[in-house]
Amino acid sequence: MRIKESRAYAITRRELTRMIRRPVYLLCMICAPLFCFVFFTTLMGNGLPEDLPAGVVDCDNSSISRMVIRNLDAFQQTDLRYHYASFAEAREAMQSGKIYGFYYIPKGLSHDTQRFEQAKVSFYTNATYLVPASLLYQDMTKMSEYASAGVSRETLLAKGYTMDQAMGFLQPIQIDMRAVHNPMLNYSIYLSNTLLPGVLALIIMLVTVFSVHTELKDGTAGEWLDMADDNIYLAVFGKILPQTLVFMLMSMVYLVWLYGINSYPLNSGIWPMILASFLLVLALQGFALFICSAVPSLRWSLSLCTLWGVLSFPISGLSFPVMGMPPAIQALSNLFPLRQYYLIYVDQALNGLPLHYSAAPYLALVSFIVLPLVDVWLLKRTARQYVYLY
Amino acid sequence: MTSNWFKEMLLVSVQETNKVLKDSGLLLFFIIVPVLYPLLYAYLYNNENIREVPVVVVDECGSSLSREFLSKSDATPDIRIVAHCSDFEEAQEMIRNHMAYGIIYVPAEFSRELAYGRQATVNLYCDMSGLLYYKCIYSGCTHVSLEMNKEIKMSRMGGISQHEMNVNAMPVEYDYVTMYNPRSGFCTYLIPAILVLIIQQTLVLGITLLAGTEREERQKGINLVGEFDAHPLSVFGGKTICYVCFYTMVCVYSFWLLPKLFHLPQMWHPHDLIQLMIPMLLASIFFAMTISFFVRERESCFLLFMFMSVPLLFMSGISWPRSAMPGFWKAFSCLFPSTFGINGYVRMANMGATLHEVRRECIWLWAQAAFYASTTVLIYIRLYRSTHMPDFKYMSKAAIERFRKRIGR
Repeated sequence: MRIKESRAYAITRRELTRMIRRPVYLLCMICAPLFCFVFFTTLMGNGLPEDLPAGVVDCDNSSISRMVIRNLDAFQQTDLRYHYASFAEAREAMQSGKIYGFYYIPKGLSHDTQRFEQAKVSFYTNATYLVPASLLYQDMTKMSEYASAGVSRETLLAKGYTMDQAMGFLQPIQIDMRAVHNPMLNYSIYLSNTLLPGVLALIIMLVTVFSVHTELKDGTAGEWLDMADDNIYLAVFGKILPQTLVFMLMSMVYLVWLYGINSYPLNSGIWPMILASFLLVLALQGFALFICSAVPSLRWSLSLCTLWGVLSFPISGLSFPVMGMPPAIQALSNLFPLRQYYLIYVDQALNGLPLHYSAAPYLALVSFIVLPLVDVWLLKRTARQYVYLY
Repeated sequence: MTSNWFKEMLLVSVQETNKVLKDSGLLLFFIIVPVLYPLLYAYLYNNENIREVPVVVVDECGSSLSREFLSKSDATPDIRIVAHCSDFEEAQEMIRNHMAYGIIYVPAEFSRELAYGRQATVNLYCDMSGLLYYKCIYSGCTHVSLEMNKEIKMSRMGGISQHEMNVNAMPVEYDYVTMYNPRSGFCTYLIPAILVLIIQQTLVLGITLLAGTEREERQKGINLVGEFDAHPLSVFGGKTICYVCFYTMVCVYSFWLLPKLFHLPQMWHPHDLIQLMIPMLLASIFFAMTISFFVRERESCFLLFMFMSVPLLFMSGISWPRSAMPGFWKAFSCLFPSTFGINGYVRMANMGATLHEVRRECIWLWAQAAFYASTTVLIYIRLYRSTHMPDFKYMSKAAIERFRKRIGR
């Protein structure tokens, strides 16, 4: 037992010196994740884009059309800062990326309203940019009720209706939308919680594969196995350990950054998320070891892990729900550790459910950890026979 | 003299092409990834939108009006009612088990309030694990409420003509048009951006892989400064020709064939698109060549650049609007060709913008191309003519002698 411990220790020490010698490790394991952590949270600092630039084409130029415009401008997310003379001008501004949407008030608005005809105001958004477009849409739907109600409300109040009665007349059914646990629709809460671990996940897989396979490439695999007395489990354990510790530290950094410093919703308490993050680190290392044992080529196993890491962003369902994807992909999504982490995050940090609701994804992460036990013996064989070719 | 220089350049480019064709790693980046990744992404998002988001209902009112509201909501394409629960706790339990993503709660006094002529409220609760659920549930129920409000108002006024009732209920009608992406589809929104990003990223990965290989060979003393002594400018030109040839094919595939396959909008004019693609390709290639100088090993490019894909996508402003970005990140994003490439291409392909409307992006791309070309040339001159090459210390004495002789020092 003693001998084994010291062997593992020796391999770990050897790994540490390897890591320090190559700047790529430092850059990739520490600088890159830190950059991404800061990047995503500061990029979406406010959480909700305010004052999205929008425009108005007022062909009517009457007091009524100006009143409508004033009403529209009052909303938080829209900033009607540009006025255009014609539809073509506004469309050109949209196409050159100056505005995300514009109102079009046709000629004859005041004429129609005075003649007791129904007037029409059109609102155009640029749905190529989906987020600003849907925010503008939300403002606009609220607006369409309030703006026309605003006119009539004054009349009703003057006629002696109470405020309650007036609103009951103007808007009989009111929708009260509650965005549970993210009431401000904070975009950063919704994305950063999975993007940060996602970037780390990609890096973990790549570093694991890289560090194991460079032994083969540099021809030091024999020395590495000798140090472990030909015990591949011990060799892998000693090698992975320092990385595991660094990555766990990085997970703690993003947990503290998100939930401590930025105070993102954490309704479950921190422990379930710490557990999930640590399991995620181990699961990714397990998965990467599984791949690099099965695919005895640095380049191809790196490519596979890259594919997995990059695909895990869309497939975890953080922006486009998995239920909207083709059925084959829905089944496949279970094989992505990040997807499991996302499911845990939703149940735990966001919704604060009791732990047993997320038992399945926790277990799934654990099964990723034991995955390399299946094929790590292959790695030993390759390590003894490998010749690097490209 | 000029023809000599030109010959040298062509030789370098032929040699480079050979290298690419022989190296499976490079073929992976230059051909397989640009072909397969967009296919995968387009397949993932092919449904464009989510429809029929499962919701549960707690109808404490149980009146004909509340039932009308609910059945109309169920009839919208956005919402599907999967269960009627007797109380709120039961509904929440279904949300916890991910059987539904929202609750429509109709309070007991709903129809009474309406009968009194007061405002009645319908409460919606939405699971915030995805913003699209929120959008679907919100827009579905809002549509129904707007429609029912109109009917209720009209029935209360009574007695006047249909036309007058319409006008009274809604003096100003609002019309909502989603331009350029009428279905608000996810595929249409994201894939064009990803196509451009993939081109830049595979170029960076491929070219750094090549540079890493060359560097490793130099360390081993196999291949010092290319197989023959080409002038740095011809090396630069030759390599560029080779990459441009490969990526012209990739561009044809990504910007013409793939969008056709997946019915993505293609509103560009060939003439305009080519004029945008030229600076974009050049800027990406020179950017990659500059970056490649900093890579020491063949495979470390994966580790150093893959993670940047997601930040780069966000920097382009395709998801998070650029108008709401902090100034620092806006300035930082100007370093990368993808920022302008994505914006330019998306506007041309999805919105039918002309070259005139993307001139800002075009100018930026040309500026980047010029900047990165000059850095690349400077690096090549240093790399190919200096005895203080970064890996000089690794060379054997004989190798250094050979090298010295070759550059005539």
